[in-house]
Amino acid sequence: MGEIVSLLEKHGYALLALIVFCEAMGLPVPAALGLIAAGAASALHHLRAEMVLIIALSAMLLGDTVLFILGRSTGWTLLGFLCRLALNPESCILRSAESFYRRGRTTLMFAKFVPGINSLAPPLAGSMRMSYGQFLRLDLIGACLYTIAYAGIGYLFSGVIEAIAGAARTVGRAVEWFLLLAFLGYLAYRVHLYWKHRKYRVVPRIQVAELAQKLAEGEQGKMIVADVRSHGYYDPGATRIKGSIRIEPNNLLATVKDWPRDKEIYLYCT
Amino acid sequence: MREATSARVAHILREHGFDAYVIHGGLRAWTKGSYPLEPVPQDDVVLLPSFR
Repeated sequence: MGEIVSLLEKHGYALLALIVFCEAMGLPVPAALGLIAAGAASALHHLRAEMVLIIALSAMLLGDTVLFILGRSTGWTLLGFLCRLALNPESCILRSAESFYRRGRTTLMFAKFVPGINSLAPPLAGSMRMSYGQFLRLDLIGACLYTIAYAGIGYLFSGVIEAIAGAARTVGRAVEWFLLLAFLGYLAYRVHLYWKHRKYRVVPRIQVAELAQKLAEGEQGKMIVADVRSHGYYDPGATRIKGSIRIEPNNLLATVKDWPRDKEIYLYCT
Repeated sequence: MREATSARVAHILREHGFDAYVIHGGLRAWTKGSYPLEPVPQDDVVLLPSFR
């Protein structure tokens, strides 16, 4: 905290804007600490309180707007990506979307206080076609609550900032260890995935040009082209390879039990 | 891993005696190559809730 206050004194509003914007974009940056420090700096007359509020709100709304537009333009790709680790991605997507649909408006107002949800709510609102005006109103309420809460804490407790800074340094060391362990855990997970998927690398592949040529030569009767996207059908206007059929990966063996073994099966996902 | 789902499904199908292959690059490569596409049939479309 002490370091943040010192940095804020030197670089002031630009640093505050950067910290808040980065957190709004989903990066692991401690914007709450930045706001507390900025609030304390305001109380000590190093920064102007009204400028802290305006800059923090602007940076937060800008970051959220970028994610909102990203959600709007990518449809369900983002949610599909986030649900990839679930046991049943299809169910994860449906449940998440329905839950946000029921509680989305309230969620947007309080999401900033919940790590993870704070960067998920704006793109979900975009994916679900919330109007930008409505999103902005709700997000502004949420941003005001968040900024005033943390900057207010800094402002009110500026007199005991050194004590808080000491505690923050201790917490900071614990956080560093946590981040290191989380990073090692992530590396181990990637190695595990690589090891688990190694058997899939030997599955034969076909280039799209070669397959297109087979289809053009009239070999459709000898083959099945199958779409195995588990979450590809949630946007109106979705397309697929002409003549292909859908296989639901979670219900695979029941679907193919009567298929002839003499046909070639070509599979694709996104 | 890219093509994770199709590779996994192809692997399972091959284990069950099917002659299965993965289309390298998936739908993205097919679309990029300007090969023919068609709309996903309405029966297969699962539209999620929308605020509009």
